[in-house]
Amino acid sequence: MSTLHEFLSRWAGPARWVGLGGAVLVMVAAFLPWAYLPAALDNVTYYGEPSILQWLGFALGFVTAACLVASPILAAKASPRTRRLLNLNRGATAAATASLVYQAIAAIAVALELGGLITLEPGAWLGVVGAAVAALATRALHAGSDARLRYLPTPAWAQILGIVVVLALVLVAAAYGLGLEDPGAFVAFGTFCGLAAWVLARVGIMGWISAAAAANRSALVLASFVVAFVFPFTQNGSDANMSIAAGVLIFAATAMGLNIVVGLAGLLDLGYIAFLGAGAFTAATLSESAFATLGWHPPFPIVMLIAGCVSALLGLLIGSPTLRVSGDYLAIVTLAFGEIFRITMNNLDGSDGPNITRGSNGIPAIPNLDVFGFNFGESHVIAGFDIGRFANYYWLLLLVLALIIVVFVNLNKSRIGRGWVAIREDERAAEAMGVNVFGLKLLAFAGGAFLAGVAGSVKAHVDVSVTPDQYVFMESAFLVAGIVLGGMGTVGGVLVGAAILKLLPEKLRFFEDYRLLLFGLLLIVMMRFRPEGLLPDQRRQLEFHAEDDELAEEADAQALPDLATAGAALSATKEDRA
Amino acid sequence: MDLLIQQLINGLSLGALYALIAVGYTVVYGIVQLINFAHGEVFMMGAFGSYTTWMLMGSPTNLSIGVALGLVLPAMILGGVLVSVGTALLMERFAYRPLRNAPRLAPLISAIGLSIGLQEAVRLFYGQIPGFPDSRRAIPFPVIEGLTGRSIQVGGVTIQHSAIFTLGALLICAALLWWFVNKTRMGRAMQATSQDADTARLMGINVDKAIATAFAVGAALAAVAGVAHGLRYNNIDFQMGFMAGMKAFTAAVLGGIGNINGAVVGGLVLGIVEAMATTYIPGQFGSSAWKDVWAFAILILVLVFRPQGLLGAKVVDRA
Repeated sequence: MSTLHEFLSRWAGPARWVGLGGAVLVMVAAFLPWAYLPAALDNVTYYGEPSILQWLGFALGFVTAACLVASPILAAKASPRTRRLLNLNRGATAAATASLVYQAIAAIAVALELGGLITLEPGAWLGVVGAAVAALATRALHAGSDARLRYLPTPAWAQILGIVVVLALVLVAAAYGLGLEDPGAFVAFGTFCGLAAWVLARVGIMGWISAAAAANRSALVLASFVVAFVFPFTQNGSDANMSIAAGVLIFAATAMGLNIVVGLAGLLDLGYIAFLGAGAFTAATLSESAFATLGWHPPFPIVMLIAGCVSALLGLLIGSPTLRVSGDYLAIVTLAFGEIFRITMNNLDGSDGPNITRGSNGIPAIPNLDVFGFNFGESHVIAGFDIGRFANYYWLLLLVLALIIVVFVNLNKSRIGRGWVAIREDERAAEAMGVNVFGLKLLAFAGGAFLAGVAGSVKAHVDVSVTPDQYVFMESAFLVAGIVLGGMGTVGGVLVGAAILKLLPEKLRFFEDYRLLLFGLLLIVMMRFRPEGLLPDQRRQLEFHAEDDELAEEADAQALPDLATAGAALSATKEDRA
Repeated sequence: MDLLIQQLINGLSLGALYALIAVGYTVVYGIVQLINFAHGEVFMMGAFGSYTTWMLMGSPTNLSIGVALGLVLPAMILGGVLVSVGTALLMERFAYRPLRNAPRLAPLISAIGLSIGLQEAVRLFYGQIPGFPDSRRAIPFPVIEGLTGRSIQVGGVTIQHSAIFTLGALLICAALLWWFVNKTRMGRAMQATSQDADTARLMGINVDKAIATAFAVGAALAAVAGVAHGLRYNNIDFQMGFMAGMKAFTAAVLGGIGNINGAVVGGLVLGIVEAMATTYIPGQFGSSAWKDVWAFAILILVLVFRPQGLLGAKVVDRA
């Protein structure tokens, strides 16, 4: 590869023109039909009238071209400081590569959906070829150094505006993506979103956004919450998508609770789903369902608390003996506990034990929540928008998730959170430093269980029925997979992981049968190549890549953003002088 | 009294099955301090390997006892061993070895991935082989004349031939294992590696090879257990490794993980406890629906009161 790069780099000048040619081909291709029949993607059969997915292809080509054109102009005209704000050469390479991936996936999707390469129209071929030319040619460009846009002093309003724009884009993308019926289109769109984020990161814009986000935490949190809150309004009362969204939120809330245990305290809990189940069963037996086995029906807020406490109690019960033996044992013991829970729920059916859960039949017909006169089962019209049953639960779950995130973030920043991280990094050193290891571990375990119990109490009402086979080991493994995929110990990572793991199987029914296999492989591959996850915690990234000095410096810079900005500005001026 | 002896024998034969699998956990743990969570799937692969061998031989039925026991069964065991050892070696090479210096959570999560991946691979693809049965459901295990369904009567006690097979297999395997670990160069290299891998490397021992051997040895015993499981329950399925693996792990912890003798003792004790629990616990909780709960309760109790296991282990505390 390096020899190829050396060879190419001699041709950096002409390569720019070749790359530009490829990018133009990609742009032209968007105006040509990609498929023979309208069934594939979002109907890509017209001349001169690109569909949305074709416009996205056009956009990648355009960004490639724009980077290629702007880069030499910037180099010639701009002051050295301005020049180094963005890395347009890297951006061009990334955009061209992204183009290639996107065009190829679109072409493959068309070929698979319509049956064979014969169904591809010239536009698809032109796009792939153009993108391939551009991707190869842009490899010859000088990569240059990291973009410095993230250190650019920006007024707060501009940063907040940036955050709002990004989140608005996320909302639009989520609404559009969920609305896509065609699996090929969904995959192509999902790939585009990932690629776009990557290109922005390579150009240096993502660095600015994350710096802005770091500087305006509260604005970011508020804006994200607003975006999540208005999401149901984009769905025109469609309950199908809202039920998926509610599922994602339940998963995210549970995974967030598990993230305290696994991500912060470093205790691998493979039976976490049992705590969710305990909450759900508690809520079900205390509900107004005709099949509820306990005669007591307290109002829901109290049920929520009881469910949380029952789970926490189970957490203490299982945690207090096992947390003394640390590490790998805990994983297996929690797994065993998960099995004990499932078997016990199955056996409390009146013949093998007292009748509490009605055994494998579970407790069906759990009525909708009715809190303070608001019935969650009824549709409501708010500002002219239909808000269905799942949208109501979506908001409730959003509140629960927000609560869990608040708990998570505050714990993470507190003395307790630092104690957990210390335990995770080195238990003996932590103990020697006076950290109450056992107490903190138990707190993490019981606290995580409490949050899962609360989430479970809502889940019981959303799902209408609660049965033991909803709470099997595979579900625990999924939760762990979600955390690992997104990035252990971070809020954003868990949300991304939960969204990916829940959305993909919902949208890609054909892949239903293979999803477990793919998740298994995903876990192995992630551990092998990116154990820190997609959106890692800086500290954890370091843990996995201890030898990487550049990363360490970056982490230091992140840890002290204000100082780092000042320092970077200083060093930038120094370098400019030299 | 007959009931007690009967349950003792049932427990011993069940325990022998656990012990054969438990050795795999303990050997690997002893040498790399890794809980090979996917070991249950190695056991499952062994069972499917032996079944595949039987299919490849043209699924012979109605054989004379001599041919069945002298030819078909050994071939099936050999086929199972080849498959499971191959699986374990690939696993070690591509999933665990690259993670040897990673934080401890990484190989454990990898192992979960392996476990799910192997189960699903068998569920989805095994039945796709032309002529092979649907692997989404339980597959009836081949009838081995002289073993399947036969039993001997001693007083009031019934002993299944498959139980004798399992116990015999455990005895032979344990003896071979003892000889291998204590008397061969490779066995001593494994011991040295488990005591101190760095020093062993300095002494010229090929540590990677010793670790791979540990995986292979465990896998071979698991394959024997796979055949024994098939003979005992008369069918195999892609999920069989999960519960069996959990029980065997419990057995390994019970005996003291890292200690080979402990794994054998732990397996036998666990089997007997399980058999006794279903007979002697009064009331609803004595029904067989609860037996797994009692087994796991033992796991938790052992970890609380005697984390080093019954026979004690060299390595207990691993943060």
